[in-house]
Amino acid sequence: MIQVAFSLLLLPLLSAGVTLLFLRKYGNIACLLSVASAGGILAFSTFLIFGNDAGSAFAWNTPWFSLSGWQLDFGFLIDGPAKTLLFVVSFVGLLIHIFSLGYMADDKAKARYFGGLSIFMFSMLGITLADNLVMIFVFWELVGFSSYLLIAHYFKTDESAKASRKAFIVNRVGDFGFLLGIIFTYWTYGTVNLQELAVTAELDPSLTSTLVCLLLACGFIGKSAQFPLHVWLPDAMAGPPPVSALIHAATMVAAGIFLLVRIEFLFTTDALQFIGLLGAVMGLYAGFCALTQRDIKKVLAYSTLSQLGYMAAAFGLGLPGIALFHLMTHAFFKALMFLGSGSVIHACHHEQDIFSYGGLRKKMPLTAYTFLIGVMAISGVHFLSGYFSKDAILLGAYNLDLVIFCILYAGAVLTALYMFRLYFLTFCGSARSHSSASANESTIFMTGPLCVLGVLSILGGFHALYPSPIVEFLLPDIIRVADMPNHLWMNVLGLIAWVSGSLLAWKIYGSQSDENDPLAKISPTLFQLSNSKLFFDDIYSFYINKIQDPFFRFLEVMELLFISGLMVRGTAGVAALFALLGKSFYSGKIHSYSFWFVTGILGFLAYAILSGGNN
Amino acid sequence: MNIFQLFLLGSILVPTVSSLVIFIFFLNDSSRAKQIAYIAFGFPCMAGIFLFLSVDPSHSGYSYQLLYDRMGLQTLGITFHLGLNGVSAPLFAMAGFVGLAAGLVSIKSDAERLPLLLALLAFMQAGLMGLFASVDLLFYYLFHEFALIPTFLMIGLWGGRDRRSIALELTIYLTLGALISLGGLVALNVLLDAPKFDFPHLTEALLAEGLAIGTQKKIFGLLLFGFGILVALFPFHTWAPRGYEAAPTPLSMLHAGVLKKFGLYGLVQLALPLLPAGGLSWGPYILWLALGNVLIVGAITIAQTNLKSMIGNGSVMHMGYCFLGLGVCSSLGAGATVMLMCAHGLSVSLMFLIADCISKRTNTLEMNEMGGLAEKTPVLACFFAAATFATIGLPGFGNFWGEFAIFLSLGEYKENHLVLGLAALGIIISAIFGLRAMAKIFFGTQSEELSVYEKDQRIQDLSMDEILPASFILVPLILLGLWPKGVSQGVDTNIQARYEILEKGDGSYGLPSCCPVDQVLNIAVPLKLEKQEERSGQESE
Repeated sequence: MIQVAFSLLLLPLLSAGVTLLFLRKYGNIACLLSVASAGGILAFSTFLIFGNDAGSAFAWNTPWFSLSGWQLDFGFLIDGPAKTLLFVVSFVGLLIHIFSLGYMADDKAKARYFGGLSIFMFSMLGITLADNLVMIFVFWELVGFSSYLLIAHYFKTDESAKASRKAFIVNRVGDFGFLLGIIFTYWTYGTVNLQELAVTAELDPSLTSTLVCLLLACGFIGKSAQFPLHVWLPDAMAGPPPVSALIHAATMVAAGIFLLVRIEFLFTTDALQFIGLLGAVMGLYAGFCALTQRDIKKVLAYSTLSQLGYMAAAFGLGLPGIALFHLMTHAFFKALMFLGSGSVIHACHHEQDIFSYGGLRKKMPLTAYTFLIGVMAISGVHFLSGYFSKDAILLGAYNLDLVIFCILYAGAVLTALYMFRLYFLTFCGSARSHSSASANESTIFMTGPLCVLGVLSILGGFHALYPSPIVEFLLPDIIRVADMPNHLWMNVLGLIAWVSGSLLAWKIYGSQSDENDPLAKISPTLFQLSNSKLFFDDIYSFYINKIQDPFFRFLEVMELLFISGLMVRGTAGVAALFALLGKSFYSGKIHSYSFWFVTGILGFLAYAILSGGNN
Repeated sequence: MNIFQLFLLGSILVPTVSSLVIFIFFLNDSSRAKQIAYIAFGFPCMAGIFLFLSVDPSHSGYSYQLLYDRMGLQTLGITFHLGLNGVSAPLFAMAGFVGLAAGLVSIKSDAERLPLLLALLAFMQAGLMGLFASVDLLFYYLFHEFALIPTFLMIGLWGGRDRRSIALELTIYLTLGALISLGGLVALNVLLDAPKFDFPHLTEALLAEGLAIGTQKKIFGLLLFGFGILVALFPFHTWAPRGYEAAPTPLSMLHAGVLKKFGLYGLVQLALPLLPAGGLSWGPYILWLALGNVLIVGAITIAQTNLKSMIGNGSVMHMGYCFLGLGVCSSLGAGATVMLMCAHGLSVSLMFLIADCISKRTNTLEMNEMGGLAEKTPVLACFFAAATFATIGLPGFGNFWGEFAIFLSLGEYKENHLVLGLAALGIIISAIFGLRAMAKIFFGTQSEELSVYEKDQRIQDLSMDEILPASFILVPLILLGLWPKGVSQGVDTNIQARYEILEKGDGSYGLPSCCPVDQVLNIAVPLKLEKQEERSGQESE
């Protein structure tokens, strides 16, 4: 078991290492190696998932770093949540690797791309398997690094260069809190091991504090791009679409939710409520922003933010199993849509504006129909995967916290609206630009994963279909929600949400013929407000350009002035001044010497006379 | 003499002798001088690896001791005494790696009067190896001076823009720092009547006699500011970035990477364990000064546009972390500092090396005049990214463990939580300047200046001559990141043994109510010293 876990973790690292050292110029071999390692990962993780009995956890560790009584272990903890995420990461990961074969076929820097994917898989699996908080933090930073690397794939464009930097730095801001949280956790509980933490927290509930768990939650806020650190995710769309599918939709951003689930026992009720409300507001806010986006990937990015908000809300309601359930179904349908968008972008020669698409359904039917499945799943159309997980969250919210429910429900209507808007604009009507008129269906490498994900997006909500180890952590919460009242009422409300959303979308965007957003005419204020994304980006860039950078330059000048100038030069200057004074006495003229001689004598005499009486 | 001792002595003698040989015979023969230089830098590195691997990490105290009574001043207890322990061994090995890399860089450089450069550098290398191998305090200090003299000469001879004034500023600062710390060392020698003036004997003497609190504070103050100036503690740091900017690359590597660790090593091995009360009373001041390094110098680093001065400022900033670890006055903090010293020595010298490679290709160090280099020089971009992310403290590189453990040690006491919160902002600051540099140099489109320059000079990727020295630094840096226990175990055993007195108290340093000062006092303070102390205290008032 332990050998398998190690092989699972080291396989992608090995693949990345070999690619970096030997295969830089052999892109075709590198991509095969990377896909093979993704296949190996799936095999190994299948073994791990079914390797021990359901309900029991596999744990192993070895000392890694120790200083003065503090010991850190390198260890694995494979329990219910880990198995679920392991399944998602390795399965969706493999599909996206295969898709990348098709999408990146003509790319010049294939080796770098696939090497980056392998590093990412390594780091993500590390988060999944880690048995303590520090180890999670280590891999947490590493996924941030691989995300940086992959966003910067097209590094020649300024957009990529900026977006990659922004992603890493904003994540660092979140990690700042996460780091402090880990340190305080250690000094409060005396351990960072997850299992020991769970035991200690249960034995002595008085140790939990809202501050510490909110600090830990900062990690989640950064990585899952929640308010107020959400600004990096839409920009991160500068990377290739498969990267967005893997990292910025299915796995890495969802790792934030996974972290919360991992440390759920540390949370106080206040903190839970805060996270729940934060998530719900994010769900609504991001949906609102998505309404006016023109870039196909940015619409999806905002929808990811919104769905992550749903997961956070589920967690805040005390339903971590449902949060993880939604993570899983979301991974399927969002990866499906991102890959679908990749297929569209590839076909339309890297055109990303949805108002330049149109009528693609007839040209690329497989992409269109699988995309439609994704749209329907995310909107919560009955009996698709999204319906089960999302309506479980809504039902839970309805019964546990009405405020959160109202916000989430409004978000659900918006979801259907902007997703169907995306679908109608892209695939229906007639082509609105040359690039979309000449589009063709993508190759089997791309459509194959789309079909698999399409099937999963349809069936993924039936938890009975999964082998029990994958869903063992989800079941208790699913059963809990299933036992809640108001099922029928919820079904009706859910129906109203997606039907009204999609009808509204059809009414506004169904017969689009030019490249202007019709919403700008219907309601200019709403359009402006949504388009501004409520000014967060502006505020941050104002802070950086107008406050932070000038202040730092000011500090530099101050340092030059006070430390280099006044202190260092000043000391030297004082010495030099004395030297100058002294030098002026040595004028070389006899009358000046005699003058000073006489003055000196007079001075002494005066002193002697004036103080003479006292001495 | 067994093989270990032979290696230990050889790591100092080989570069010294080679330096002299070049100096006397081959000043005009570049090719011979280069051949000798390979030995001068290769042997210490080999010895460093070998000795580091063979030091027993669970043994506290010095291994492979080598003692020559006749050398030194016996009446003062000064002898030529070499040895390695768990703390010095990794630093010794680090000095070997960085020395080899710096040596290779200078051998392959086309500097004028190359044999002289190599001779000076080899001389410096001997000093650096000797510094960490010394058990005797005076020799420890002398080896530092050994290494310092070539620094001035090399900046004066091969330096960049206004080298004379910078060499002068550097000389004044560093000799001042060295002088003050020498004062502290002399005070220790005089006040503690130890039979020998070395680390273990002084510890014993302290345990037997103890020093009055006031004396401890004074000596600690001398050592702190003396060493502090040498390590660029805020606000005595301005010499460092300017100096590194002007110095030739191999010198910047050796100085920022290794020589600067002299002061920290002295504080970790000597000042804190020997003068616990002094450490505890100065601790809070160290913390706040170190915050100056992290936040103020960090902010200044972000404002830099010149690559080398950014690296120089960044290295000053990270020295702040080391001081934070010391200011906590715990064995955890001190151990963490040693971890960071090892890692930082490697990462900063890698930075300087790569910066040199970049400037050779672009003919400038202004980052705004570069851009888009990643396409033409992917390998260079990889190495720069590795160095940058190591500096930023990405896990997987050694720096992360040092920084993390320092933050952890700050979290131990409530009093330090504010400092911890502020210091941890450093991880954002370093990310900002590191990634900005990465983006400005390698991403985006090529600047006009560079395009103009490229017309006469094709930009080529790293050659094997450059990859090799960079790898000599990068590989240990990654190994340290992947398996920190390899270093931490030895560090831990030794630090714990030496920090017993400091840790005996309840550890928080709010003098005088709750600290191990009482413990120190209980270890029989000689009346004579105390009286002296009182008298001097009255005088100063």
